[in-house]
Amino acid sequence: MTELALEIRGISKSYGEYQAVHSLSLAVPKGAVYGLLGPNGAGKTTTIRMIINIIAPDEGTITLMGRPNTDQSSLDRVGYLPEERGLYKKMQVRRVLRFLGQLKGLGAKEADRRIDEWMERFSLKTAEKDWGLAKIDELSRGMQQKVQFIGTLLHDPDIVILDEPFSGLDPINAQALKDTVVDLKKRGKTVIFSTHLMDNAERLCDSVCIIARGNKVLDGTVPGVKAEHGGNNVALALAGGGAELVNRVLSDHKMVERVDDSNRFFEISLQKDADPQALLHRLIEAGANIQRFELVQPSLHQIFLEKVGATGVEVGMTGHG
Amino acid sequence: MDKLWVVIKREYLERVRSKWFIFTTIFGPVFFAAVTILPAYMTNRGMKNAQVSSIRILDATGTGLGHRVADRLSKRQDDQSPTPGPGGLGGGQVGSRIGAPASGTIASVVEDVNPPKLAMAESLATKDVMNKVDPGYLVLDSATLTKFTARYAGRNASAVGEIQLIETAIQQSLMASRLEGAGIKPERVDSLTKIRVDLASVRLDERGRGDSGIVSFIFGAIVAFMLYMMIMLYGQNVMRSVLEEKMTRVAEVIMASVKPDILLAGKILGVGAVGLTQQIVWVGSAAAFITYGAVMAKAMGMPQMQNMTFPTVPPLLLVSLVLFFILGYILYSAMFAAVGAMVGSQEEVAQAAQPVVLLLIASIIFFQPILLNPSGTLAVAMSIIPFTAPVIMPVRMTTIQVPPLELAASLIALAFTCLITIWAAARIYRIGLLMTGKKPNLKELTRWIKYA
Repeated sequence: MTELALEIRGISKSYGEYQAVHSLSLAVPKGAVYGLLGPNGAGKTTTIRMIINIIAPDEGTITLMGRPNTDQSSLDRVGYLPEERGLYKKMQVRRVLRFLGQLKGLGAKEADRRIDEWMERFSLKTAEKDWGLAKIDELSRGMQQKVQFIGTLLHDPDIVILDEPFSGLDPINAQALKDTVVDLKKRGKTVIFSTHLMDNAERLCDSVCIIARGNKVLDGTVPGVKAEHGGNNVALALAGGGAELVNRVLSDHKMVERVDDSNRFFEISLQKDADPQALLHRLIEAGANIQRFELVQPSLHQIFLEKVGATGVEVGMTGHG
Repeated sequence: MDKLWVVIKREYLERVRSKWFIFTTIFGPVFFAAVTILPAYMTNRGMKNAQVSSIRILDATGTGLGHRVADRLSKRQDDQSPTPGPGGLGGGQVGSRIGAPASGTIASVVEDVNPPKLAMAESLATKDVMNKVDPGYLVLDSATLTKFTARYAGRNASAVGEIQLIETAIQQSLMASRLEGAGIKPERVDSLTKIRVDLASVRLDERGRGDSGIVSFIFGAIVAFMLYMMIMLYGQNVMRSVLEEKMTRVAEVIMASVKPDILLAGKILGVGAVGLTQQIVWVGSAAAFITYGAVMAKAMGMPQMQNMTFPTVPPLLLVSLVLFFILGYILYSAMFAAVGAMVGSQEEVAQAAQPVVLLLIASIIFFQPILLNPSGTLAVAMSIIPFTAPVIMPVRMTTIQVPPLELAASLIALAFTCLITIWAAARIYRIGLLMTGKKPNLKELTRWIKYA
């Protein structure tokens, strides 16, 4: 059995009448990149806050590296980047980082050494300009996010927890974040992040857990999850028009469960017992000018829609049938 | 404990390094010195101006009273070695007694006038005063001898100190001439009339409570105001700091590293240490001011400050003062911290803090009646109620001997309330920091405290 970086057993949390998380269990192996997926309001942030023990679950237990998360020394091995980011505006960048490092038990000297390293790596310290001496509110938004990210990683945590890390990042910073996540994994660290952007999760994650309305919908490795839901998905691209004719075929619910028009192609989920060949046949009969017809594994996005859409959570959110 | 230290260090250093702190710490004493010294300096300068040119004494008594008066005016009132000779123009001597405004000298020129020509001399003198040749003139005539009245006209006629000096000089001169008339030798007359002046200053001392009565009364008022200011300033500082952490969301990052209780404790202790630092600087500079102030004052030609002494503070009072400051500060800063954690914006915070501010203001509203009647029912009650005790009890202690039982009751009630408040505040703080949206009502707040 692989060693677990994080194990959650049956945690629940309610705020008055509202149940944010309902007996959630999951396990994250050491060294994995783990995605916590779900629509807004699914309970991702609440779950993460319980993991790092800033709110206590009503019931259930959480262990980090085999030790309860109420143990301060196990929490010191965690780096956390909250969804809503912010730092002391009037404080010097270097002092903020030193403070954050010291709070995790880092010595001042060691903290300073690492701050230099990271600042250079994120080009916040160059030959011309050392942003470390500036105050936080003198930095651009992108720079502030870098500083915050450094603060998360300064004490070289074994487990890195990022709450919606991609939100608000421009493509360059998003790429830098992705590279850092990959690098962390190479160094044997465990990365857990939440997101509602399935593309990111699909590219980065070894394993995922989808939660909706405080309940776990599914979890497992990304290939495993895909295999489980794969087989009956078709990507269809048409050359030119003929969409009306095709639409009649695709709206036959005996055969087609769901169609997602992605503009350049349709992503079609067939009913379990439907035969893709029969669909191809009927499309040709309908006179469709087919450019692409391919049996594909569903994207996480598709699985997410299927699973979360099926439970009826926030239909409007997904924007699809 | 290491983390508590890290939090305290940040709270302390970030404040001590701030411009606001440096400004108030340095300019606090400067401002204080300014309000103390300036009025004295101005008064003194006013007196000196009067010496630049001499007042004119029109003596129509024909008894040499004018010369006597001029002589008196030229000498320090408590000078025990009279300089003989009338019309002395000596000046520059300075007196030294607090509360004896009739000290100092005024130079004068005596003009003996025939009574019939007095009116003309007077109108001439009026012209000279108006043309700023003389600062003023004094008229002594037969009425001075019989009815003890005299007239003074001058640009400085409203300067209380000078009028009093002149009055005293006339009074003494009249008495001296009467004593001489009764057959007492002139040398004796001088020393006899001087005694009265010394007696006057003794009487003034006895009006207060013992030797340092007035000083300790002022000391009480200063202590009360300082305590009130410090608790208010630094309590609200804690509140703003909590609100900042909540609004910038930095709280969540910190809470992933330290327990909120430690964060709260570190914040209160760190800010409190800043307050103590400031007080030490202030008290230190006040002590230096009093020690070296006399030298400064003398250099600036001000006699009044010379005998000012720092009141001797009994050890019990000192310990109590520090204790009441610390407990009072903790009580209020915990409440302010809870308010800061409750609200979600700068706009809301002022209103939400009002109940706490009012509790504190109550001690200042009733401060005067309590200072006037420090053993009354109101004073006793307010010095035991924990929310007013931190200011009111020290005030009472500086003015009267507070019964030990009352002191103990006050301290115990305060300490107990502190514990309950910290407990509740920590719970509100823990939940409030992560909450967004509208301010909780009383019912929700109770739930926070219950379930945190």
